[in-house]
Amino acid sequence: MIKNISTIILIIFAFTVQGQNYKLGKVSVEELEEKINPNDTIANATILYKKHDVRFEYRENEDGFFQIISVHERIKIYNKDGFNWATKKIKLYNKSASNSEKLQTLKAYTYNLEGGKVVKEKLKKDGIFDEVANKYWKYKTLTLPNIKEGSVIEIKYEIISPYKQIDDIKLQYSIPVKKYEVYVKTPEYYVFNKLLNPRAAYHPKLETSRRNVSIPFAYIEDVISSKLSNVPALRDEPMVDNINNYAAKLIMELSMTRFPNRMTNSYATSWEKVTKTIYDIPSFGDQLRKKSYFEDDIDALISGESDLGVKTNLIYNFVKSKVKWNSYYGYTTDVGVRKAYKEGVGNTAEINLMLIAMLRYAGINANPVLISTKNNGIPLFPTRQGFNYVICFIENEGFNMLLDATNLYSTFNILPTRVLNWQGRVIRENGSSVWMDLAVNAMSKESIFLNAKINQDFSVEGKVRTSKTNYLAMEYRQRFANISAEDHIKYLEKDNGEIEINNLELKSINDPLQPVQSSYDYNLNGAIEEIGDNLYFSPMLFFATKENPFKQDTRNYPISINYPVSSKYVINVALPEGYEIESLPENFATIYDSDSGKFSYIIKQNGNYLQVLINMELSTTMILPNNYHAFKEFYRQIVENETEKVVLKKIL
Amino acid sequence: MLKGIIPLFFCLLFVTYSEAQSEDLFLVHTIPSELMVKANAVVRYDYRSLDISGLRNLNEKYTRIITVFNKQGERNIDAQISYDQSRTVKKLSAIIYNKYGKEIEKFRKSDFEDVSSVSDNSLYDDDRIKYLDYTATEYPFTVKFTYEINSINTAYLPSWNPLEGYYISTQLSKFEIAYNDEVGIKKKEYHLDGYEITNNSIEGLLSYEAKNVIAIKPEAYSPMFKDFAPHLKVTPKKFYYEGYVGYSDEWGNLGKWMYDQLLKDRTQLSQSTKIEIKAMVEGVDDPIEKAKIVYKYVQDRTRYISVQEGIGGIQPIAASRVDEVKYGDCKGLTNYTKALMDVVGVESNYSRVYASSSNTVDIDKEFVTFLGMTNHVILNIPNGEEDIWLECTSQTNPFGYIANFTDDRDVLIITPEGGKIVHTKIYKTEENLQVVKAAIDLDVEGTIQAKVNIKSEGYQYALREGYQNSPLKDQELHYKNEWDYVNNLKVDDISYDNNKDQIIFTESINLSAKNYASKSGTRLLFQPNVLNRVTYIPTRYKKRALDFEIERGFTDTDEFTINIDPSLEIEAMPKSVSISNMFGSYSMHIEKVDEHTLKYYRTRILNKGYYSNEDYNSYRAFVAEIVKHDKSKIVLISKP
Repeated sequence: MIKNISTIILIIFAFTVQGQNYKLGKVSVEELEEKINPNDTIANATILYKKHDVRFEYRENEDGFFQIISVHERIKIYNKDGFNWATKKIKLYNKSASNSEKLQTLKAYTYNLEGGKVVKEKLKKDGIFDEVANKYWKYKTLTLPNIKEGSVIEIKYEIISPYKQIDDIKLQYSIPVKKYEVYVKTPEYYVFNKLLNPRAAYHPKLETSRRNVSIPFAYIEDVISSKLSNVPALRDEPMVDNINNYAAKLIMELSMTRFPNRMTNSYATSWEKVTKTIYDIPSFGDQLRKKSYFEDDIDALISGESDLGVKTNLIYNFVKSKVKWNSYYGYTTDVGVRKAYKEGVGNTAEINLMLIAMLRYAGINANPVLISTKNNGIPLFPTRQGFNYVICFIENEGFNMLLDATNLYSTFNILPTRVLNWQGRVIRENGSSVWMDLAVNAMSKESIFLNAKINQDFSVEGKVRTSKTNYLAMEYRQRFANISAEDHIKYLEKDNGEIEINNLELKSINDPLQPVQSSYDYNLNGAIEEIGDNLYFSPMLFFATKENPFKQDTRNYPISINYPVSSKYVINVALPEGYEIESLPENFATIYDSDSGKFSYIIKQNGNYLQVLINMELSTTMILPNNYHAFKEFYRQIVENETEKVVLKKIL
Repeated sequence: MLKGIIPLFFCLLFVTYSEAQSEDLFLVHTIPSELMVKANAVVRYDYRSLDISGLRNLNEKYTRIITVFNKQGERNIDAQISYDQSRTVKKLSAIIYNKYGKEIEKFRKSDFEDVSSVSDNSLYDDDRIKYLDYTATEYPFTVKFTYEINSINTAYLPSWNPLEGYYISTQLSKFEIAYNDEVGIKKKEYHLDGYEITNNSIEGLLSYEAKNVIAIKPEAYSPMFKDFAPHLKVTPKKFYYEGYVGYSDEWGNLGKWMYDQLLKDRTQLSQSTKIEIKAMVEGVDDPIEKAKIVYKYVQDRTRYISVQEGIGGIQPIAASRVDEVKYGDCKGLTNYTKALMDVVGVESNYSRVYASSSNTVDIDKEFVTFLGMTNHVILNIPNGEEDIWLECTSQTNPFGYIANFTDDRDVLIITPEGGKIVHTKIYKTEENLQVVKAAIDLDVEGTIQAKVNIKSEGYQYALREGYQNSPLKDQELHYKNEWDYVNNLKVDDISYDNNKDQIIFTESINLSAKNYASKSGTRLLFQPNVLNRVTYIPTRYKKRALDFEIERGFTDTDEFTINIDPSLEIEAMPKSVSISNMFGSYSMHIEKVDEHTLKYYRTRILNKGYYSNEDYNSYRAFVAEIVKHDKSKIVLISKP
């Protein structure tokens, strides 16, 4: 009996599993009845089914292959926060009539359960909008009718494209996917390399096969396919460099074309070759060779100078002040170096390639470095799109420096933080290339000297002097070099209680080669607390770290920090008359991950003075999820220590 | 009569325009020095000349010369123009000059970027924008921007703002509207006193001019810019808009026009929907109860999608259409709700409002303008003394809840008889209540465990209900950020009760924090205000220039029972505090129930109010005082 029941259950189960039909329009009552995704109960929506099919079709009248992208998706919406999945924007490249992508077909439906029955509603024309977003892109925007909590929607469309490059295929979304079929079918004439993101936590399986095609003529097609079930959702976290670095995706790189009776045409297949290809682009390599436009100016600038360092600095500052960055990235020039120089504005390539050309002209061994910026992510494949930026590298004996002239406050080896990603590819003049690591090893240091005198009314007055180097200095300059002293003071006063700051002075704020220094006087109320006959205060006063910035209990992805830092505090507190020390915080030291992080706190009394010395150092720039707990604990100890109180007692 | 005016009028236009050509305006050193103080940019010359030669014929010529001193000032260049099928750009150009007045770059119409104005929260909008994409190569520089447009719509006329914003001053600004008798013009001046502004208007020509308006800086808690900055509003007496002709002489007529032309026939519904909604209210007599059923019906079945096309910019899509697709924008959803209210016999009115959460923005009752210069639509249900207002774009708001978006302001309700101005619900200081109760256990290590209960009402309801549907991880993080001064906070349990009938949101949280009380030798310093601390003191100004405003008042009460580990002894406790002034009040006291049990009481009330700049320092001192008492400590000592 029991046996029978379980058989029946098994049959039913098998039926429901196999019974789910993913043909357009075949939405089931079970799908509509589902209240939550049992595998991911917090999902607002789930992609029940998705098919992404890329194929190439030969068109005789156009004499060539066209790429056809067919997409079918069925999405379940559980609640109101999932409603935005019922709106879709299909982006079509639209540069000119012959070079634009077109939407061939589009069908979309909403399904709801009414009285136990599936009711289907079609998306009508008036729910579809054409938007010419700008000169490159056209959007087809649609939103489905009759969306409720529990609705299922289906969208099916086909795009035809004259381009042979295949866009990256996303295999993971911010909501879970139940079933996902991916097909990429390419004719033998186009050779693609395929790659899955190795940094993703989710690793799908790919299958490859070949098959014969006979229409309109005989050729062989390469087929990549993947059938996935229960793809987990990808959810962002604070302090991740770029969440897309961790998303599962299939990347297809066109490496070669080989047509019968024609030369094979090879595209990028290795970083070496990618680099060579880029070097051969006129708007890259040729730009390095032009010099007539600057010769006179540079001759005048460096005349009589023989020191390489001095010459480098002169040229670097000259480019920074002469050509302003227009906020566009790129390793190729847009208007060209000559025009950029003349008009005083350029993209990253125009500015930095010009810098390299000038340095070479002055006899300095300068070379371009191709970069992928943080928001471009970490490329997985040798591809030209893997780079999106170029900077300058000087290789002279004992004098190796990275330079970027797009930012006024950058300097030797101190680059805008957008470029501190992964590694760069140096291209030498002969076209050969090598990798170089871009991770910052040099410490950016700050020292803070804090003098404090506690008055009889328990207000505090004193002086602060600070000094910052490297990246800390660059960021400080970016923030404060162009604002008034008044606004700067407001910033310093903010969140520091009842404080009044005066006599702010800055040194070397506009000289990136020097540490930036500041000094000011302050008056502080409320920092010394009188409770009973005792006084309580933290000797770091308004510099104490008040809260642990790391609040999550666990992490899924690494924390990325731009550069190593060290902070040093030297504090002198003059105690008020009529009081003596009742207790002091204990001296303390701790480390994180052997010595990636160090903290020490030393306090001592010296007559009527308290002296405190605090050192904090963080030499790592990446905190992996499995080290997160220890890292958070390191910070917890720091905060606890810095807020610990000195207790003074009234002398009776 | 008319004959006499025309030559004079042309003459005026000619004189002003030739002034614009003055080379001096492209030079930086000719800027009066008082205009450079606090300024990121100076408007050298701003001349807008409108010519309404007929009901469907608006021509606008605009010339703007602006000198920009730094990166921040670039946003004031404002070289952009929006257009659509009814509004065509005839001329458009920009020229950039360096500080010596030398031309360095020229942009023709085709050099401007052309993009759609679909925003993040709209699906479609047929407006397009042409804008200047220019990268400065040096500062200062000057931009001369000119355009000419023709529009068949005459309903909206631009305002004149001789002080455009913060950090920008104006050397010369002119504003002219030539109009014919058929159209007519009304205007209203705001805060023009104290500026070098002249009104040179004559019949058939409105003409204003401002000189040397110096820049100001923003300050914390400032009132809305429009509440103190000089500006002029204008509106045609008779207008044309996308096929319709209307009058803006008084609210009654304007409303009547809107009702008859734009709303009347938009409330048809299918028979089946009528039957469905009627069945749902069967047996219910009270109109408010019926309205609640209808509101829930709409909330459960629709969602907000914004599509703006042609007349659709001001006319709702038909109720039958919303009924079919189950989405709409504020106009469509409000009109749909009204259609359903009609079916069940509940009176309701489509109402135009300026929605804004940070400030309460009124329609100017005294000055009738097209749609009252509003940006949103809500539904009004007349209800004797206090009308009910429905936000029809929300799927989650409690019935009648409009706090933080459309509360406490004058709005235009549109009835079949005409329009009228009505004030929306005010959420009063005593209604905007938050009550925190907690039982806190403190152990010998200084670690605390607490059971917390937070009840929020009135406008505070809206501040707190937002996190209830987010993932647990985000909810935990939200509390860690809210109580960021409590280090090592661990959230052990969260539960919510959202009482939409009474509009009370209740949060129950169990939490703990290791070593919350800090050690100092043999002492433990314990801050009894664990859960509702003010930590931020408003910005200090050497001399406060602007008045300041608290837009919404509120009341917070806190009551914590603190159980202290028996091995600890209380050495010192903060004294009771009670402060009261025009801004509000604050009181705190600690009651010793027994040797190990304390009760902490705190009340903080902040009043709604508009205050003079002179009072800012005392407001700041009041907050500083609260900050000080909120971190006061109890000293505990281990028993020997």
